Amino acid sequence: MLRFAVRRLILLVPILIGLSLLVFIWIRALPGSPAQALLGERATDESIAQVRNQYGLDEPLYEQYWRYLQTVGSGDLGTSIASRRPITEEIQDRFPATVELAISAMLFATLIGIPLGFLAAKRHGGAVDHASLFLSLIGVSIPIFFLALLLKWAFAVELGWLPSVGRQDVLIDAEHPTNFYVLDGIITGNWYASWDAIKHLILPAIALGSIPLAIIARITRASVLDVQNEDYVRTARAKGISSGAVDRRHVLRNAMLPISTIVGLQVGLLLSGAILTETVFAFPGIGTWLQMAIVNRDYPVIQGGVLFVAIIVVLVNLLVDISYGFLNPRIRLAGR
Amino acid sequence: MSIAEMEARELELDPTGGGLWHDAFQRLRRSPAAIVGVVMIAILVFLAIFAPFVAPYSPTEQNLDAIAAGCCPGPSREHLLGVDDLGRDELSRLIYGARYSLLIGVVAVTIGLSMGLLLGAVAGYFRRADSPIMRLMDIMLAIPGFLMAIGIVALFGQGGLLQVMIAIGVVNIPIFTRLMRGSIIAQRDNDYVLAARSVGVPNRKILGSHIVPNAISPVIVAATLALATAIIDAAGLGFLGLGPQDPATPEWGTMLTNTVRYLQTAPFLAIFPGIAIVIAVMGFNLIGDALRETLDPKLRGRT
Repeated sequence: MLRFAVRRLILLVPILIGLSLLVFIWIRALPGSPAQALLGERATDESIAQVRNQYGLDEPLYEQYWRYLQTVGSGDLGTSIASRRPITEEIQDRFPATVELAISAMLFATLIGIPLGFLAAKRHGGAVDHASLFLSLIGVSIPIFFLALLLKWAFAVELGWLPSVGRQDVLIDAEHPTNFYVLDGIITGNWYASWDAIKHLILPAIALGSIPLAIIARITRASVLDVQNEDYVRTARAKGISSGAVDRRHVLRNAMLPISTIVGLQVGLLLSGAILTETVFAFPGIGTWLQMAIVNRDYPVIQGGVLFVAIIVVLVNLLVDISYGFLNPRIRLAGR
Repeated sequence: MSIAEMEARELELDPTGGGLWHDAFQRLRRSPAAIVGVVMIAILVFLAIFAPFVAPYSPTEQNLDAIAAGCCPGPSREHLLGVDDLGRDELSRLIYGARYSLLIGVVAVTIGLSMGLLLGAVAGYFRRADSPIMRLMDIMLAIPGFLMAIGIVALFGQGGLLQVMIAIGVVNIPIFTRLMRGSIIAQRDNDYVLAARSVGVPNRKILGSHIVPNAISPVIVAATLALATAIIDAAGLGFLGLGPQDPATPEWGTMLTNTVRYLQTAPFLAIFPGIAIVIAVMGFNLIGDALRETLDPKLRGRT
């Protein structure tokens, strides 16, 4: 098991190097030089040359790349042109917001998707089954930003039940030791702040969770249907084990394998969706940050941010792989 | 003549060749989901082609009288789906918009499909090329697709129809590369390929009537479903203001962008283009799912 994990970790190295190279080349291929972007419209040829020299942009590309690797390796992602703040600092502010949003979306998707898929499989061909199929069809067919707009219009604008923008009411004076606002409220004992942060999360989480919900419900339904007809399930039933226990110990446990993989694989999709969801709800997370950076040509932010996001995706996929090995006895026990 | 050669001859003479597609079509005709999907897409294609004849107004014509009292009057007899903030007929813009969404989807998927199939086939056949190509795909897959699409549009300096197509096409490449490579490797060492080879069926025929038909059906299914995602992503890029730069272009995603400001007074401006997108996407999803069920031999016996 440990061997499996270590081998997966070693396989990560070439991917990370390739990733940094890709982002590096991409930034240099963008129209308009970074020096131009830094100096603005009134840049003279001289001042551009000076800036290029100052930032080492006139050195050969391989030297620039080597230096880039060194700085990134030491944990320095550079400074944002727009805000003049270190990028690592901005990520510390913004990433917790997106993580909070993504976790809420996944909670929504799994807590509804798995029971729905399970019930649909149990009542195969029945009303619940048809409803779940229709719901998941809608879920994968509706653009996230459209659903987000609809939710915002219905529950924030028309009904006024939930806030429409941001992470927390600006009038709340709350401390943020971790930048996870819900957690911050709990730590500092400010329950009202936590509750307000949760209220701000509900609509974006539903919008962002709609696609994973549809996919999880489908996979759960398919894999429960598959497992249900396995010999060991029939054997368990024949032994006289109660149907609840058979469902728990045999059907669900085995059906969880593909489900857990799918849940993990949604991370990239969640981050893609976060860009649009955060835009609709003016939610100050990593998605709106990157989108603004691309619009403003904030090269250091794009470079650092895309690399950061990609590393997160790769790491989470690795974790999914390892946990898959852990859940699947065929892989877990193979090394013994 | 040996027995093997006789069997090979019989295989060649077998009149049921091409049965896979005939069979699939028969099944598809009996699937209500597929029919609904085909009807939805057929209507959109019809509207897209005959937009100038179907649409009551030009998509750029402004009826300033309609918005004289403020934005925006809802559905009326003159304007069945109301007018937008510039007094343009919403229904006409939606009808013309079908052109853009379908075109972007088809071109983007064609780009992704052709590049992906080529790379996948190369990776599947030539062992030396396998690892570099697949590692590159791993790297591409590590970047969230929509973020990569935004990044590629940024490479061009500005958004636009062609830029959006290329961006979404490139994002689709790894999907088809993986699929094609996996299919080819799986088919290459399959028992029935060995069996066909052992009874003396010529290589060309093995490739043409065994490997390709079996390898291509998941690709067709994926392409149909990719069309759905491409339309959603294109609308998403339009929504972020990265779509066609001419504000007169009635692209559905772009139409949604400006409506955020009028959500309180004219929610229909957001709802109608959104429904149009859902119809297009759902149509392709329905067809894709039905195709998967009919083309996958493992699922065929189930229903």
